[in-house]
Amino acid sequence: MSRSHIQPARVQIKGVRKEFGTKVALNGVSLVVEPGTFTVLLGPSGSGKTTLLRCLAGIEQPTSGEITIGDQVVFGPNKFVSPDKRELSMVFQDYALWPHLTVRKNIGFPLVNSSLSKAERAERVESMLERVGIALLADRYPNELSGGEQQRVALARALTAQVGLVLFDEPLSNLDADRRDQLRIEIATLTRDAGVTAVYITHDQSEAFALADRVGVLRQGELVQYTRPEKIYRHPKSAFVARFTGVSGEFAVTNVREISEKRVQVQLPFAPGIFLEASKSENSPYDKDPHLFIRAAGVHLKAESSEEGAPGIIRDVAYNGRGYEHVVEVGENQNLTKVFVAERFERGDNVKIVLDPQSCFVMNAQEEA
Amino acid sequence: MTVETFLAETTPARQPMARLRRVRWSGLVVWAVLMLLIIIPVLTFLLVAVSPRLFRQGTSYFTLSNISTAFQGYTGRGIIDSLWVSTLVGIFSVSFATLIAWMVQRTNIYGRRVWSGSMWLLLLVPTWMTTLGWTDVVAPGELGSAFGIHTLFFYHMFYGASGIVFVLSAAALPFSFFVISVGMRGLGSEFEDAARVHGAGRLLTIRTVLPIIAPALLSAFVISFAEAMSDFGVAFTLGTNAHFPIATYTLFNAIYAFPANFPVAAVIAAVLVISTVPPVFLQARVMRGRSYAVLSGRSRAVRRHQFRPLTRVGITASLGVFMFFVLGLPLLGAITSSFTNTDSFVTTTGIHWTLQSYKDVFQPLASFTTLGPPLWTSNQLGFWVASGTLILAYVLARRMASRSPGIGQRITDVFLLGSIAIPGIVLGVGYIFFYDQHFITAHVVDLYETMPLLIMGLIASAVPSQARLLTGPVGQIQSSLTEAARVHGATKWRAFRSTSVPLLSRALVWAWLLTFTKTISELAVSQILYQPGHEPASVVIETYLGTIFAPIGAAATVITLVEMVGVIGVVLFIFRLVSPKGWRRIGEAGAPQ
Repeated sequence: MSRSHIQPARVQIKGVRKEFGTKVALNGVSLVVEPGTFTVLLGPSGSGKTTLLRCLAGIEQPTSGEITIGDQVVFGPNKFVSPDKRELSMVFQDYALWPHLTVRKNIGFPLVNSSLSKAERAERVESMLERVGIALLADRYPNELSGGEQQRVALARALTAQVGLVLFDEPLSNLDADRRDQLRIEIATLTRDAGVTAVYITHDQSEAFALADRVGVLRQGELVQYTRPEKIYRHPKSAFVARFTGVSGEFAVTNVREISEKRVQVQLPFAPGIFLEASKSENSPYDKDPHLFIRAAGVHLKAESSEEGAPGIIRDVAYNGRGYEHVVEVGENQNLTKVFVAERFERGDNVKIVLDPQSCFVMNAQEEA
Repeated sequence: MTVETFLAETTPARQPMARLRRVRWSGLVVWAVLMLLIIIPVLTFLLVAVSPRLFRQGTSYFTLSNISTAFQGYTGRGIIDSLWVSTLVGIFSVSFATLIAWMVQRTNIYGRRVWSGSMWLLLLVPTWMTTLGWTDVVAPGELGSAFGIHTLFFYHMFYGASGIVFVLSAAALPFSFFVISVGMRGLGSEFEDAARVHGAGRLLTIRTVLPIIAPALLSAFVISFAEAMSDFGVAFTLGTNAHFPIATYTLFNAIYAFPANFPVAAVIAAVLVISTVPPVFLQARVMRGRSYAVLSGRSRAVRRHQFRPLTRVGITASLGVFMFFVLGLPLLGAITSSFTNTDSFVTTTGIHWTLQSYKDVFQPLASFTTLGPPLWTSNQLGFWVASGTLILAYVLARRMASRSPGIGQRITDVFLLGSIAIPGIVLGVGYIFFYDQHFITAHVVDLYETMPLLIMGLIASAVPSQARLLTGPVGQIQSSLTEAARVHGATKWRAFRSTSVPLLSRALVWAWLLTFTKTISELAVSQILYQPGHEPASVVIETYLGTIFAPIGAAATVITLVEMVGVIGVVLFIFRLVSPKGWRRIGEAGAPQ
């Protein structure tokens, strides 16, 4: 497949609202997906990410707003372009492979109405079969394939179309961990090689960060943050984003003192004698019920004999292949979790905890409605 | 423009047109068709119950006296009998169908295709044919006597409540079997495995797993109940001689008595329709939030319980004996009776085998009609009725299987169930009451005593049960399969053609065949609405069966049945010949259901 054939699409979503009866699934969502980028929409169940993807695909019709794909307004006032006219393809969560068609015919489906000759179509299908590594399965039916193989066929079908936009609806959620990692890499490389614009939804933050050029975090039908993954990790816009993208611990703090434009100083709640410099969130205030949010990457463990750091006790330890993840008790019913260290501390060991201010944020725990 | 400025410019604005677009014009068209086919004619007839004078059937414009009359005496007993008989039929049909569906779908018994096929055959045989067959077995001097079996005891049993329950349960068995089979196929063996590994014995496992298919079980019960409530074939044949009144027969009596009592008949009709409401609501409560959807883009094969060799043989043989009594014996009775030309099968001079009855079918006495033209008329009717029914039933099944059930779906559901319980005779009389109204014949269209009116009536009588039967297969298809086709460039029509049609092809072919054959054997609507000079086969056969020329009627019945089976064979052969391999894999063992 050559990049030159594909014109990656720019996607503009403007104030899209979707109601199901009295329930508001999307509440004025707006975002722009730049051509050729990989955007991941991240959110918990019920956040509206699936609805947004289905609105993009044309499977659902928004209640209001505007959606533009490439140069074409596909939804707007008095306008609705049906899915088949939107020049996109999609990988479904349940694969959606047609059980009466062989792998080859499933993959060739998007080309049936194209202007390609029969030979060109066959060539493109064969090339895609090779590319996705399923050439040997071409004449099998979907029920004769494993889950990973079925999802590979779904990916191949989506890429065969050579359209400017590919949508992914939690494609890895039905696979085991091993296959998930493998297929995630294939999705990333094949999609980027194809040069298409990708919109991918998931509830798994590690999947989102691994794949995305930009991540959009959705909550209760609203897009709460949309930016580069590293920015979301380092500068979460709200307590919800911080929590959903993974924190090691969250503690109520008092006496927050502003020391610069970007930094505050707080007294560590579990070590009253120690003051910590933490980051101020750019958008979230800390005036009502300030909490300290600590990312796991910013927690370092030292031996008890170390002069710096706050005291803690190792409560649990788990080997994860590269090192050890620890749970450290820092106060009554207060823990820091997923604390990674290359060396193992034993359960019950007394340790010292050193925090990296870059990975600590102070924000209100409750967000304003 | 940056993302930030773009976001700032954005203001969510409601679009009034979006709401307008959601008006389902297709839904309105469907309801308009249903109004003309079923609702208005039936309501017209039911109106006679409270306003007989409106239709020149009495002196009052409004009266409730017919209601109290209908619930007294003979008609009152008929209503009570119908209610408890239909409840028993529902229970028997669901119990046996669950057992057979489990054996066929989830175990390794021999001849699974044969058992499924025999269910189809059972579905094709009308209840009046079954009754005729059993009469030819158990009546004194008939087949049973030929084997020296003293059948008088069975004869008295058969001509009573137990006979009626037996025949109606057998008739309802295939409906339950197909509905429950869908549930069984979708029930992954992991549920059974989960119960077993957590310490459940066989019984507890069954008690744990069966509620998962409770929607299918209840659906089967409701259909069986409604079918039994509305059955006319048994009422017309067995009910007449059994001195056991059931509602459809008392309704028939009220209409054909002299003078006819249409208002009381209308009350009985109303009771038949309303009786399905409680089971439907019970089903709706159980179904809340559940889906039948099991045919998805993810495919998994069904694992079967492996019986040991001896058990396998024993269970297969037991099923064989059961099916012989339910289907084989009555068919045998009808067939053997057709090869004699005497009053009874065994006469004082022995059994006289002859083909005379078959000759008489096509060279009848002066007062009878030959079977040829009526059978051709029935086939034509079958073709048009089956085709029309298939389209309308599919549209209704789509609505019923909708993933986001709204009030519209509930209404359709209750309406269709209620309609199954509308006896053909009620539809027939309703058609006469409505389509023979002066303002209709003079100013709209004069369809009275025409073939189109009969076709409409037959479609109206077939659509409710066919729509219910198709809801299972249609509901099995995950919406993502069609959505995938749409987002990959298929128009609505192509998505339907390339996904729904192949996945449903088998079900659609069988639905067509079933309606075709049911139309040929249909009696109630045909008898009331046939075009003079163009009697369908069932009407002609019925005139033979009511006389001393019953063997000719039996021969005509056998010929009609063979012709129906022949058509099924031809259609299935053509389907096999022209359909791609992938289409035929759907529903086969080891393939996705």
